[in-house]
Amino acid sequence: MKVLIIEDEPSLRNSIREYLEHQGFICEVAADFREAIDKVTDYEYDCIVADIGLPFGNGLDVVRELKSLKSKAGIIIISAKDSLEDKLSGLELGADDYLTKPFHLSELNARINALLRRKNFDGNTSISFFEITVVPASKTVLVHDKSITLTGKEYQLLMYFIANQHRVVTKSALAGHLWGDAYDQAGSYDFIYTHIKNLRKKMMEAGGEDYIKTVYGTGYRFG
Amino acid sequence: MKLLTKTTLYFIMIMLPVFAGGAFYLFHKFNREIKHETDEELANDQLQWLRYLDTASVDNPIFSFRTQEFQLIPTDQPVQKKFKLKGVTLYQETEDAQAPFRELSQVISIHGKHYQMILRKSLIEKDDLAKNIIYVMLLAFGGLLMFVILSNWFISRNVWRPFYRSLDKIRQLQLNKMETRRFPSTPTHEFNQLNEALNQMTDRIHQDYINMKELTEDAAHEMQTPLAIAQSKLELLLQDENLSENQLKNIGQTSEELQRLSRLNHNLLLLAKIENQQYPVTEQPDLHQVLVQYLSLFEELIREKELTVETDLAPTAPWPLHPALADILISNLLGNAIKYNYPEGLIHIRLTAKTFTISNTSNLPEIPAGNVFQRFRKSNLGYSNSNGLGLAIVKKIGDSYHIRISYQYLNGLHIFTASC
Repeated sequence: MKVLIIEDEPSLRNSIREYLEHQGFICEVAADFREAIDKVTDYEYDCIVADIGLPFGNGLDVVRELKSLKSKAGIIIISAKDSLEDKLSGLELGADDYLTKPFHLSELNARINALLRRKNFDGNTSISFFEITVVPASKTVLVHDKSITLTGKEYQLLMYFIANQHRVVTKSALAGHLWGDAYDQAGSYDFIYTHIKNLRKKMMEAGGEDYIKTVYGTGYRFG
Repeated sequence: MKLLTKTTLYFIMIMLPVFAGGAFYLFHKFNREIKHETDEELANDQLQWLRYLDTASVDNPIFSFRTQEFQLIPTDQPVQKKFKLKGVTLYQETEDAQAPFRELSQVISIHGKHYQMILRKSLIEKDDLAKNIIYVMLLAFGGLLMFVILSNWFISRNVWRPFYRSLDKIRQLQLNKMETRRFPSTPTHEFNQLNEALNQMTDRIHQDYINMKELTEDAAHEMQTPLAIAQSKLELLLQDENLSENQLKNIGQTSEELQRLSRLNHNLLLLAKIENQQYPVTEQPDLHQVLVQYLSLFEELIREKELTVETDLAPTAPWPLHPALADILISNLLGNAIKYNYPEGLIHIRLTAKTFTISNTSNLPEIPAGNVFQRFRKSNLGYSNSNGLGLAIVKKIGDSYHIRISYQYLNGLHIFTASC
């Protein structure tokens, strides 16, 4: 899976790259508009992560260029601008997703994974992790080929963990992924624990191994 | 007091004594003049009488004459060289009243005999004349006064019209629409100066406002990038498997704080945007749907705390709000009701077409009325995951979109009401 990261801030660019490469993506980077245009015209990517504000141009123009090239690449815009209009104009141009800064790297990774599943396989594939198999099209989860029933939130949790295997994901990242911006109101992330506990229980009851490790005071690690 | 009333009053206050003094002076002048004329007439009559008495009645030297107009009475007093004049009042039988007269008296000698001669002239007719004249004068003065006051009023009204127009404009000034407000030039020099000064002032304020707005927005946007970098670095750091529990915990906490900062930034920006009316009312979102959506979104939180939620909802409630603001209004109020509740507490929600009321139990005491909607006026009683802007945002939405937001503490319940 080839991902192009278009971001002018070197630190952020490198963080994203490092995180994604660890998750098995092949990453290319572009630091400004010209470089981005050169890369998208010369090479094919599965997914493009583009910042809007770039030196020498606008990330939205990169999206336009990609559309005119009839590129099949999935596009995720990352921007500090979070107004509805900005989001809509980005999505209207043909971007697939819009993430406002600051975001969790695990969230970006989960979105890229979801996007690639939709784009490349039309969801008609299964993801496997040892004895666990997920069929996204039907939202079914099999443990040792035996179907288990998960609630919507538990399913989302599992998918998030699978996307971010072997990485520590923070509780706030999980809350943000599952409940959106409204999780601000929560007051605590304790309620996530209930979902984790249930997911863990259901998978272990089906004979699966416990892959969810609690990382003290921070979050969880899967696998 | 209105300027017009004030000038008119001052005008009356000045004109009244002047006019009264004038009338008084005229009255006296007339009286004196009439007296003088009468005296002259009397002197004239006296001359005629003396001439007549000197020649006539020579044969009848002793006689006496008594009428109101003319008296000739023998007397022993010495002859007076000059006559005396004075005013008297005499009884009039026919009218049964006293009437004013001028009287000329002199002791004269006719053929060696002394007589007291008294000549009188009634002042009544002349008095009437004076009265009439004064009456006419007063009428004329009064009319003049009225006329002057009225014309002053009309003139002032016209002259001050540009002033009131400017005043109206000032009253309607809004920060975000300031550049379209121009104070026009007027025919009056002073008002032109005033309007020019106002134009300059609004331009300056508007410019400052724009700069400030841009600064806050740019600052908020620019802050997101370093926040994103710090956030990503911490997340990468978390992946280091050699970290101790304590280090992991510290990184986790730093990450939390960073997100709080980011939310704070986001909310401040939101406040600024609501203030600048950057959320036009394009459609009327159904508050009922929004509420149901957030109730299901917060379902876990409610279940976690074992809260009882009682609802009394109208099937639809289209409110004149931007959809994003309807979301914020509901999520902030509902979120607070959950966050500040105690376990197994109660939330009651009532929604009609025009009002939304949410009440909740809480361990927190009543919030002082002055503080409840103020920025950063958060409770310090163990709810650290608050940036103190939630209610300020709710209030700002209310202020900007004509929705009344009120808070009440009743029977241990914190009650927030929004009504449009």
